[in-house]
Amino acid sequence: MVNEMAKRILLVDDDADFLDINNTILTAGGYMVDTACTSAEALEKLRSQTYDLVIIDLIMEELDSGFSIAYAVRDQEQTRNLPILMLTSAQEKTGFNFEFDKDKQWMKVDDFAAKSLSPAELLKRVSLLIGKVK
Amino acid sequence: MSKKTGRILVIDDEEVIRSGCRQILEMYDYHVDEAANGREGLQKLMQNEYDVVLTDMLMPEMDGMQLLEEINQSGKQVIIIVITGYATIENAINAGRKGAFDYLPKPFNSDELLAKVERAIDYRDHLQEIERLREERDRNLLESSNERARTLTIINSMSEGVLATNRQHQIVLMNPMASRMMHISEARAAGRRVEEIIRNPDLQRSIIDSLEQVTSTLSCTHLEFDTVYGRAIQASITPVIDENKACIGTVTVLIDVSEEKKVEKMKSDFVSYVAHELKAPLGAIEGYLNIILDGIIAANPQKEREMIEKSRDRAHGLIALINDLLDLSRIDRKRSLKAMGPINIVELLQETVDFYKNRAESKSLAVNFSTDDDLPFIRGNKEDLSRLFANLVSNAIKYTPENGHVDISVQKSNSHLFVNVADSGIGIPAESLTHIFDEFFRAKNAMDKKITGTGLGLSIARKIAKDHQGDIEVESQENVGSTFRVTLPIIAEN
Repeated sequence: MVNEMAKRILLVDDDADFLDINNTILTAGGYMVDTACTSAEALEKLRSQTYDLVIIDLIMEELDSGFSIAYAVRDQEQTRNLPILMLTSAQEKTGFNFEFDKDKQWMKVDDFAAKSLSPAELLKRVSLLIGKVK
Repeated sequence: MSKKTGRILVIDDEEVIRSGCRQILEMYDYHVDEAANGREGLQKLMQNEYDVVLTDMLMPEMDGMQLLEEINQSGKQVIIIVITGYATIENAINAGRKGAFDYLPKPFNSDELLAKVERAIDYRDHLQEIERLREERDRNLLESSNERARTLTIINSMSEGVLATNRQHQIVLMNPMASRMMHISEARAAGRRVEEIIRNPDLQRSIIDSLEQVTSTLSCTHLEFDTVYGRAIQASITPVIDENKACIGTVTVLIDVSEEKKVEKMKSDFVSYVAHELKAPLGAIEGYLNIILDGIIAANPQKEREMIEKSRDRAHGLIALINDLLDLSRIDRKRSLKAMGPINIVELLQETVDFYKNRAESKSLAVNFSTDDDLPFIRGNKEDLSRLFANLVSNAIKYTPENGHVDISVQKSNSHLFVNVADSGIGIPAESLTHIFDEFFRAKNAMDKKITGTGLGLSIARKIAKDHQGDIEVESQENVGSTFRVTLPIIAEN
């Protein structure tokens, strides 16, 4: 399934089960998946490898750690244009309409999705984002 | 003639005049006493009460002038009519200066005598009425000043802020609590307009609206606002309505509700935290089920089984969390509702140790249990204390790597029992120690090592210890071990 041309995705989540779930779905979808369960691990991998997409869980140990990673991605020359998909289970907590609110440009992410996305929906979102890369 | 009565003293050295006066006055129901000279008259005056004294001026022993002086000096209140054969202006003026009310020139007839006496009695009544009114006024003044002082004291001692305004929007009263709540000095506020003094725009608007409302109903306005110093204040504004149903002012009562707000926020934070903690495992279970149902790993039955097992583990963790939450709310219930009885701590701990025996053996942990002799019973709730020890012993087993040891001991002092649960586990990092008893807090090393837990076990343990007037403490060193020490008071059983 995995071939030379396969797109590479980094999954960042501190919940091992979510890493396992999304890893399984994306691998089955033909992507090459790498995982990181802490901010430090994610940043290290982003420095040493090239990815076509990074999927970050918004709320990890610290409330803003998902955003910190997103900012770090945008700060680095080599990852400036890397698409970011932010996953969250906390819509009601922050009050943002993550699905449709395109005004939130300051958040520097390309898309938001609920953590409970179905496999088909997740693959659809991912292919849309990766398609954006030239 | 009108019916006046009174006690009259007639002082004259001429017996004829005395008896003449007596006869006339007694006919009109006056009580009459007689004295033959000033000295005798003065004696009678000091011994009895008279309304009117009729006195001759020229007398042996003590004359009229001298008598007047003596009466003045004695401070005796009596109306004096001077009888004089020398009815000259000078005499009258002199007597008047000495305090005589009137004079009666000799010779006089009965009508003249009666008229003078009656006039004096009228004057007496008049004086009495004035005195009565003065006393009444003084009493009222005293009462009203007492009443005012009392009301002010009450208003100034209130824990609520009170603020009154008149129709002209001026502050007419601001008690110390209101001044403290709004950070306005009382002195600065008096007489100033609401618009100048009240900084909060909502409160200012509401007071002015209440003043200007035309309805006659006593409609109270409620609002909440935050002060510049971050206190939450609840204000109730009531218009003051006069008998013509016009609004003549407002009374505003201010209550500081910051503490209630804090508790409210803690509750809502707790609820949203719990919701998040419940959602995460359910989300994982849903994710696994989606993969299995969509047939994504149908070709790999081993992976499929692994995912079903992981789902079960998350469901298991969810049940543990819900059990902890139920325990937390049960423990929060009033202590008075719980059955308290004598507890044999050693027995209870032995039960706990036995319960976790298999779990300890599966990790090859040595569990040692030692106690002082002759331990007294303590008073407590068996279910709660059992939960407290279970949490500590199961934690010790959970966080201790294989081949380690868990040491449980009970010691006593005169007043307390000490239960120690020590382990050779992963320990608690120093920066986590202060939070280890907080709800949902989990030490970083426990998270890193993926040791599951709800983050509620130790907060439940502390609640139970505190509920029993006891306490719980921890000492720990990372990678060496932790010791939890529960202190429980010994309460004599009757």
